[in-house]
Amino acid sequence: MKKIALGAVLGAATLAVSACGQGVLGSDKTDDSGPIALGMVVPLSGSSADIGPYMKNGAQMAIDEINAKGGVDGRKLQLRVEDGACDPKTEVAAANKLIAAKIAVSVGGYCSGSALPTLPLFDRNKIPMIIPAANSTELVEQKLKHVFLINGTGDQQAAAAVSWMGKDGAKKVAVLHDNTSYSKDIATRTATGLDQPGGPDKAALDAVTPGESDYSANIASVLKTKPDFVYWTGYYQEGGLILRQLRQAGYTGKFMVGDGSVDAKLIKIAGDKAAEGAYATMTQTPDTIEGAGGWVANYKKKFGAEPGPYSTQSYDAVRVAAEGITKAGGTDGDKVAKALEAIDGFPIFSGPLKFTPQHTLSNGGFVILVVKNGAFTLRDALK
Amino acid sequence: MTAVPDRAKRPGPTIVTRLMENRHLGWAALAVGLVAPFVIATPYAMNIMTSAVIFVMLAVGLNIVVGYCGLLDLGFAAFFAVGAYTSGLLATRLSWPLLATVPAVIIATALAGVIIGGPTLRLRSDYLAIVTLGFGEIVRIIANNLEVTGGPSGIYGIPGLFGAEAADPVVFYYAALVIVAVAVLLAARLGRSRLGRAWRFVREDEDAAEAMGVHTYRIKMAAYIAGAIWGGLAGVLFAAQLSAISPASFTFLQSALVLMAVVLGGMGSTPGVVIGAVVISLLPEILRDLADYRFFVFGVLLIVMMIVRPQGLWPHRSRETARTAARSGES
Repeated sequence: MKKIALGAVLGAATLAVSACGQGVLGSDKTDDSGPIALGMVVPLSGSSADIGPYMKNGAQMAIDEINAKGGVDGRKLQLRVEDGACDPKTEVAAANKLIAAKIAVSVGGYCSGSALPTLPLFDRNKIPMIIPAANSTELVEQKLKHVFLINGTGDQQAAAAVSWMGKDGAKKVAVLHDNTSYSKDIATRTATGLDQPGGPDKAALDAVTPGESDYSANIASVLKTKPDFVYWTGYYQEGGLILRQLRQAGYTGKFMVGDGSVDAKLIKIAGDKAAEGAYATMTQTPDTIEGAGGWVANYKKKFGAEPGPYSTQSYDAVRVAAEGITKAGGTDGDKVAKALEAIDGFPIFSGPLKFTPQHTLSNGGFVILVVKNGAFTLRDALK
Repeated sequence: MTAVPDRAKRPGPTIVTRLMENRHLGWAALAVGLVAPFVIATPYAMNIMTSAVIFVMLAVGLNIVVGYCGLLDLGFAAFFAVGAYTSGLLATRLSWPLLATVPAVIIATALAGVIIGGPTLRLRSDYLAIVTLGFGEIVRIIANNLEVTGGPSGIYGIPGLFGAEAADPVVFYYAALVIVAVAVLLAARLGRSRLGRAWRFVREDEDAAEAMGVHTYRIKMAAYIAGAIWGGLAGVLFAAQLSAISPASFTFLQSALVLMAVVLGGMGSTPGVVIGAVVISLLPEILRDLADYRFFVFGVLLIVMMIVRPQGLWPHRSRETARTAARSGES
């Protein structure tokens, strides 16, 4: 019997050794003269699987552009993408995989809730993390030295929303969110802004359950408060349905969505007629920046698809990472983080980049879009 | 399953069967677990190995409820969540050391077991499954909506198992491995105890058990509470490993995966469930290179496995060996 047990141990050990060969091979690739690896954890499966390719392509585009110009310090850049599925456990495994692959900088992060547990991992391994999409304030509340956000924060988006509501002459505003970290953050901050004296008043702050197809109960309770402006901070799928069902219920006031809903699918789901005139708070995109048409054309040529949400931010994250590594003169995490802190006026889509002491954008760059003839167009730059 | 094997005609146990019934195999498995970090210790390998070990604990907990006692529980992630949140909250808001939260976690999860078990254990099969499914969702949605649990972003900054600084992954892996090994051993012993025999009796025929003087309601409640505590303690390990927890970790999918591990391994069989849990937690990671197709392949593999081996990878065999058989032959 003991022989059998011993045999089992040996057999398993051999198996493990063969697995180890893979691990060693994987880490062999990186040394100081080879390509610099940038890592990216994005959702490629699960409910947000749509977003992953947009972010991946945006990042790849920046990497190809930089490599075409000779790379960083004579070393080529290389992108490693792992699926995080917006699930904390998967995302942590993916982050660990990237750490094991010795990436220099992480340029991923979409779902705030599942990105949170990966922050201490990257930070402990001194890997700077430039988060292109996730923008919950909790991400920077831990004050980790290596974590940077280059998407506008919920705070900035809420401020932009409230300022536009005032400008647009709204009287009573209902705010709806879907109870995800990102959406709730913007909604509660908007509600706080509305509660301030002066400007529009808050009519309601309500949450809906994402993934349903009938929101008439939520809509009826919101309409009871008689709002003349409704702000939805969640994603486009529910946003489209809510807009459509609001109109069906006879609501004639204004409707605005947050940046998670700015997608052509919103208009498709709501229907052209219902969506016409809907506002959105959004960071600047190539569509709304004059002279950026070439970027979109390049993207289309390269990937055969339209850029989507966060393509530009991912593109920027890679460029910011490259800038940090260049300025630091190497891939040492601490030096790169210092270099990132020192960046002043580096041009990215949302405007000249400068990080606040909390490592967020000093200028969120939110603008107001409006749906005109079935497409989002710039309405007000809020300057 | 229903066919009674004809002992006289059945051929003697094959080598594989004899190997599978070897009592030292558990030690061999533990040895493999202990040796593994010497072979490969990258952060990624340690991470998925630790996840696998925690998943084993969960599956063994659910095995008490589903495997031993035959109560279908579709909301097991609820207990996992109660454990993770209880320890996470006490550790972050009241700055208790994580190990000190363990008694509180045991009380909280046992309480959760009583709350869900109390009114529902009078129900049978499908109805019980529906209620547990609802309970799992209720716990997740409560965590999603309460302020104190951090809402949808959850709790972050949970300290490691032995203090504020997150421990070295290898140390944590060993700690988790030892804790889970003890838990697995306890669950296996529990399954062979007087209580365990009562559980199996209830699973086979509840009315007969009742008629034989087994207090079925109390027995089922005990299974529920034991399962809940195992799940809760797995939650503590999970919170310590990730350092942040959010409702996204406790979805129905999680409950379904744990149940799948139990069924895949072989209901009621401890080695089977351990193997099932390891397979379920490692397979998606091994298939990671397939990118978009990995869950598709994962699903197909599971279906194939269940077709080829419906009784599970390592099914439970009754311990009714020669001695008992001989005794029943005498009478």
